[in-house]
This record gives sequence, structure tokens and C-alpha cells, in this order.
Amino acid sequence: MSDEPLTLTAYDLWKCYGDRPVVEGINFTLHPGEIVGLLGPNGAGKTTTVGMLYGLVIPTRGFVQFGPWQIPAQGKQARAQMGIVTQEDNLDPDFTVFENLSHFAHHYHITGVKARDRAGELLSLVKLQDKAQAQVDQLSGGMKRRLVLARALINRPKIVFLDEPTTGLDPDARQEFWRMVTQLKAEGCGVLLTTHYMDEAQRLCDRLFLMQQGKVIDEGTPAVLIERVIGEEVAEIEGVAVEKLQALSQSFAVWGRQFGNGYLLALPRDNPEALWHQIETLHAPRLTRRRANLEDVFLRLTGNLLG
Amino acid sequence: MKSLSITPWGVYSVWWRHFQVYRSTWLVNFLPPVSEPIIYLLAFGFGLTPLIGEVTYGSTTLSYSQFIAPGMIGIGVLFQSFFEGAYSTFIRLNFQKTWQALLTAPLSFSEVFVGDWLWATTKGTIAGILTGLVAVVAQLYAIQHLLLALPIIVLGSLLFGAFGLLVAGMVRKIDQVNVPIFLIIIPMFTLCGTYFPRTTLPQALEVIANLLPLAALVDLLRWPLGLPNGWLLPLVWLIAWMCLFVWLAAKRIYPLLFR
Repeated sequence: MSDEPLTLTAYDLWKCYGDRPVVEGINFTLHPGEIVGLLGPNGAGKTTTVGMLYGLVIPTRGFVQFGPWQIPAQGKQARAQMGIVTQEDNLDPDFTVFENLSHFAHHYHITGVKARDRAGELLSLVKLQDKAQAQVDQLSGGMKRRLVLARALINRPKIVFLDEPTTGLDPDARQEFWRMVTQLKAEGCGVLLTTHYMDEAQRLCDRLFLMQQGKVIDEGTPAVLIERVIGEEVAEIEGVAVEKLQALSQSFAVWGRQFGNGYLLALPRDNPEALWHQIETLHAPRLTRRRANLEDVFLRLTGNLLG
Repeated sequence: MKSLSITPWGVYSVWWRHFQVYRSTWLVNFLPPVSEPIIYLLAFGFGLTPLIGEVTYGSTTLSYSQFIAPGMIGIGVLFQSFFEGAYSTFIRLNFQKTWQALLTAPLSFSEVFVGDWLWATTKGTIAGILTGLVAVVAQLYAIQHLLLALPIIVLGSLLFGAFGLLVAGMVRKIDQVNVPIFLIIIPMFTLCGTYFPRTTLPQALEVIANLLPLAALVDLLRWPLGLPNGWLLPLVWLIAWMCLFVWLAAKRIYPLLFR
């Protein structure tokens, strides 16, 4: 049982508060060794969905099957094989960094020398071995997130939930965190990641679910989503009358949208140069040609930015 | 209410976590609060006995110090279990998010709840026993009576621990814990037969004091002096209060965690 890979499947998850639905009909499967991303703006229902996956949020309809266990009914048994990194840091300020791991191991029946050994291993894994005797409030934001991740890994979980794990971290700390997530995947762990950082989703996730107002509005691999929804390239144009660009967008039958001070125009797949030359003749004070990204996908699908 | 599954290990593991915190800070956590009922016992015992002399309780006449000793055991139980249940649980729920962290481990709501409750009970029991031991050393309470009073001390701690948890589940801000302290805890602490027999109170006040749970607890702790209403009634009364508090507390705290 303990070495068997486990798959998690969400069946038609709904969550309503009163008459107000916050999650509507989420279905997906998370396979071992795969990173699945829930990407969406704040308030899209990502955290509520994660809560339903490990049993903290009781779905109004639907359920989750993880290996032999059904959640929420058998959430406790299921959590023995899950690692959960919640959005808020809930490390134990009463304990040292080391004790945060060795004492938490107790809840998994890992005690004494075994608990201390495992705590030591995990501190090395997240590169906090020098901080073992430090108090939690002496750690930086990035170190705290790494410690929460280490705590989630105590029982060598089959799947890990990371709920906005890098929010508020500096670029170095985010890179370091990503490295560890990639390592988990390489070891065969299924990872569910929620984020509103498009670069994080694009870099880490094998599959993405784009969420808005509690619904999955599209899904696929990052590359397929970008290709299907936007195409390959996008022009960012500033300082040109919107009407002219809208006319271009219509005549080439491509997606275009006002965005901040500028305008985004998707370049057609088959002949991007034709449109690009037309744009160049407008002599825009600022003009950029770049690869389409998930931010463009989101902007097109929702009319809004992530962030 | 789902996630009711409960195992001894789960409850013990939560209790053990609180015990580890207590162990690492025991000097701060342990001595000052436990000293409170002991100081009352010594101060009022030595201070007021020469002025008051003897007290008649039921058909027994005894020294004032002997009279208040069981009351002070009751106060130790009340304060320690209530404050742990109310303040510490509130902090663990709302500031430290300890409950939320525990619920990411293979622990059910019932296990986390009962673990917290039993920890509040443990603290009340420790305070009750230590105050009792001081009373034994001062020859105000017999050791065999203290041993036999142990189940009553535990029951009182369960009751007031559950009341503390209920308060932790009801208040939104930590300052609001003061409301039940001033409205319920202080009146109980002073009126329920701790410092003087309730029979000296005006009748209306006596009726109210008799109904408050500390009255039954103190009566039971005074059992070597005889029980005014038999032992069964106050015992059932305490158990009823405990069941009510624990049911209400679980009902209040569960929706704070599971949405």
C-alpha cells in the first residue's frame, strides 16, 4: 500500500454559501508525478477547491476520491498520504524550527529517534539545517514557506497541495521553492498548485485549469492553451489611436484588446509578418513583439488580468 | 457534522503537542497561575481566621481556614481550566492557527477538539491537586480525602474547560473574553460557597449561586464535611453542565474551521 502511487479525482465539486455558489462543478484528476495548476485571480475559488480536496471545506455537492478514500468522509485517513501547504503560515511559534517538524511527526505516529531523523532530513532538503534551533519568527518569508513545505512532507506524501505557495516571496526565494516542487514531481509525487502568477504556472505545471468566479473556463497544457487561445506571438503597441488598431484587428480577424496605456494585438499564426508590417507603418512610440503567454490567455478569456 | 472519527492516538497526539509547549515554558506557565488559589488560601486562611474564628457548615463547626480550603481547590480548577480553554484556545484558533495546522495532519475535528479540551482539563486538574496538597500540608484537608476528591477535580476541570472552549468559540476579539469573566466567572468565584457558606446570602442571590456549577463542585469537594443535598444531585448537575458546554462549544467551533 505505502509504495503504491495514488490518483486523486474530483467529481463535480460544488460549494455554495447560502444561495451564492463559489465553486461550480469542478472535475479533474491529479496523477502521480504530475503538476496540475489552478490558475485564477483572487476570489476565483482556488482555495475553496483545495479545501474540498483535503476535507476542510465540505462540498455542497460532489466528492473527491483519493486512492481508496472518499473525501470528506474519510478525509482523516486520506490526509495521512497528503502534504498540505496552506496559504497562510500556520507554523507553531511555540516551537523551534526543528521541533516544528519533529513534533508534527507525532501526529503521523512517527516518534522519538525516527521523528528526529526525519526532521533532520527534511531540514537538509529545504536547506534550513543551520536554522534548526531558531525560533519561527526569526525566519524570513521564504524560509517559513520552505519550513511549511518540509512539514507537509513529513510522512512522504503521495500528493502535495500548494496553495499560493510563493505569494509575497522575492524572486530568489520563488526560484528556490520551484526547484523543490520540481524535485517532488521527479520523485513521483502528484502536486496541485494554485497560483495567480502566470510565470509560475507556465514554468511548473503540466496541466492547467483556468478558474474564474468559481468555474473552470478552460484547461490544457500551458503551451496548448496559449496556442489555442492566442496564437504564437503578440504585439504590444503604445501611443497609437485605438480605432486604428481595432480596425487592424478586424481586418486580420485576430484578437486585440486595450490594455493599460497600450493595446495588445495577436499576430496571425499563418502570416504574422503581414500584420506586423502594417503595425510598423503606424510608427508607434513604443512597440514590442513577443511570444504569447498565459497572461494574454487569461485576458482574452476573462477580460481581466490575473494579479 | 462530519469528521467525527476519533481515536485515542489522535486525541493524545493533540494533547501531547500542548504538553510539549507547556514543558518548554513551564516556569512561566505553571507557577504564577497555580500560585493564585494557594495565595488566597494562605492569605485568607491566615488573615481572616483570627477575625472570623469558626464557621458552621451544615451541622459541622470548623475553622475558617478549613472551610475555605476546598473552595480554593475549586477556584484553582475553575481558573486554570477556564483560562486555558478560553484564552489559549482562542489564540490557537485565531492567531497561531494551530487548529488549522493540525487539521492538515491525519487528525479529525473531534480529535483536535477533545485534545484541546483534555489539555484544559489537565491544567485545571494540576491546579486543583497542587492547591489540595498545600491544604494537606497545612492540615486543612486530609490526604485520603484529596485522593477521593480526584474524580471531582477532574470533572470540574472538564466542565470549566468546556466552558472555556465555548467562550473561545463565541468571541470574535480576545478582549471579549472579559465579558464572561466579569459576568459569570467572578460571581461564581466569590458567591458559590468558596469564601463563605451560601446560606448567608439573601435568598434570591442564594438561589442563583446554588444554580451556578461552581457551587455543586465546591459542595462535592467539601464532602468530608457532609453534603447538604446528597451527592447524586450535584454530581448529575455538574455532568449536565459539562455536556451542555461541550456540545455548545463543538457546535460553535466546528463552523469556524469547516466552511
